[in-house]
Amino acid sequence: MSTRDLRTRLQTVRAYLGTYGWLALGGAILVLVGLQWLGPLSTSRASLLFFAVGLFLVVWNLLLLRATGVLEFAHDHAWTLLAVFAVGAVAVQAAGLLNSYWSTVALQMFMFGVLALSWDLIGGQTGYPSFGNMAFFGIGGYTAAVLFKNYGVALPLTLVVAAVMALVFAAIIGVIVLRLRGGYFAIATLGVLLVAIQVARNLSITGGTDGIILLDVPDQALIYYGMLAVLVTEIAVVYYLSTTRFGYVLNTIRDDERKATAMGINTTYYKTAAWGLSALFTGLVGAMWAPYNTFIDPATAFNTAWNVEFIVMAFIGGTGTVIGPVLGAFGIRSLVFQIDSLFTGWQLVVLGVVVIVTVIGLPEGLVGQLKQRASALKYYEYGGGAAGGAEAADADATEGGND
Amino acid sequence: MATDPQTGSAAGTADTAVIRTENVTKRFGGLTAVDSVDMHVDRGEIVGLIGPNGAGKSTLFNCITGAYEVDEGHVYLNGTDVTGSSERTMSQAGLVRMFQETRVYGEMSVEENLLVSSRYDTDVLSQFRTPSQETREKADELLAYVDLDGLRDMEAGRMSFGQQKLLEFAMALMADPDVLLMDEPAGGINPSMIEQMLDYIRDTNTEQEVTILLIEHNMDFVMEIADRIYALAHGERIAEGTPTEIQNDDRVLDAYLGRE
Repeated sequence: MSTRDLRTRLQTVRAYLGTYGWLALGGAILVLVGLQWLGPLSTSRASLLFFAVGLFLVVWNLLLLRATGVLEFAHDHAWTLLAVFAVGAVAVQAAGLLNSYWSTVALQMFMFGVLALSWDLIGGQTGYPSFGNMAFFGIGGYTAAVLFKNYGVALPLTLVVAAVMALVFAAIIGVIVLRLRGGYFAIATLGVLLVAIQVARNLSITGGTDGIILLDVPDQALIYYGMLAVLVTEIAVVYYLSTTRFGYVLNTIRDDERKATAMGINTTYYKTAAWGLSALFTGLVGAMWAPYNTFIDPATAFNTAWNVEFIVMAFIGGTGTVIGPVLGAFGIRSLVFQIDSLFTGWQLVVLGVVVIVTVIGLPEGLVGQLKQRASALKYYEYGGGAAGGAEAADADATEGGND
Repeated sequence: MATDPQTGSAAGTADTAVIRTENVTKRFGGLTAVDSVDMHVDRGEIVGLIGPNGAGKSTLFNCITGAYEVDEGHVYLNGTDVTGSSERTMSQAGLVRMFQETRVYGEMSVEENLLVSSRYDTDVLSQFRTPSQETREKADELLAYVDLDGLRDMEAGRMSFGQQKLLEFAMALMADPDVLLMDEPAGGINPSMIEQMLDYIRDTNTEQEVTILLIEHNMDFVMEIADRIYALAHGERIAEGTPTEIQNDDRVLDAYLGRE
């Protein structure tokens, strides 16, 4: 008993030491960069990068030290925080504080937020790793483009039809592919995406490989508001669902579908619903992207690079959490834009490094890691358990020593 | 009886038998895992199912719960023929099972594990509401009962094995079972917790009037708790009786000790 207590204590101390260590390193970097900025070297591109790393280390480790408090605050004030975000994002655009460049950055952050959160609904919450979500994006985009261009349908109406089309398509495909699990499901959904690309290339209504050019589209500000509205709505919907039995059931499917079935849950119904909801939101932003881009062709509608990018975003932010994928999307998108302007051509290299560091250092993603830390701290307070104490302490020790 | 074997043989004890299997046979290719097993569990009983490894105990469980389709024979629940029913149907009829390899929803919190195991709030509209007060109170009660209330926000998969076992038990109770099927409740837990588990099972049986069928390898455990015991070997039922009868049964001793 006392040996275990001592061991647990030591590991707690080690975890904290790790966190303080990284905090000190981050602080040192910030001071050094600051001194350099004061001196003759002035602001260099490399120093900006160091500054960003130092700032991240400081902020992240401060968050880790206050993990329980941070999560409780976010949980207690979730709706207020969402409202503040929504009002703030509308205000900066309406007040003209965003120039065209930053407006583009923000618009894409919102869109990728939706894509990552939608993927997480099926991939993270339900545990079905879809590699075909871009198919819904393309279907939404093409539906809007064809209706707008060929039939003169008003854009708001095309959005509704596009979302419904994506939903129906998901339901039909879902009946077939949702019987598969894990890697088999991933491959099957990737197949769906590849088929969608080929079909779009060969149909005349989609303009084949030439695509469709859209004219007389609304200005960027309107699409900015549209993307923002979809993002805020989706965050609200997913957050609300995560507190209901529906949300819990999705998690049981991820954790142990066999057990869920034995407990009397009709898992087919739930996972099809999650997949449909994921498709609906993805199709909706696809339908906004087409007029924003003023052009749609198979390569942009079913962008396979994006298909991977929003999965990476969800993982970096923390799969199975509500805000994680959105933060991951915001972080990666703004990082890509910043690197592109500072070190043109290096964005994929930096992205690769970020992915590797995250996978090794933060396997649960940012929000996931915060949750684990809070959970481990609670376990210490409770006094741990026979076998679990040491395991939890070990897990925590590794958490402390990462960035 | 010969003209109508199903109703004929079931009629005698239909009112008390909660679970009855008749001639249940399950084959996997050439292997007959369960071979024409007849058994019954009466209301309010605790029945043990013993047998060496590979005797077909878990397979029989799976045949009863509807996880496997039986090749021959019938399964009755409260006198109704439920042969071929899905696990979902059986579970909704009040039959709850626990697994040999303790299964909890690892990445969900302890409290969520319980809330989602409730059989209340399962109509369509309730799915989209937060769990009802009634469900929450029941979850709180059960958390206190198995002494896990300090861990309610803990990720279930991060707890110790023994704690997960207790959680799985609480989840089964959360589903408000009429019959509880337990696969090795004393497997892999320490001696002091075995005592605790005995109390929990007895309590569930007497206080909450849950009929219990359990598989167990720990002979002391099963002898102490079971009202009646069935012994299986090579898929066949080799003995039935009270713990004392089973302990003195030559066929059981042969099967366990490998005497020929």
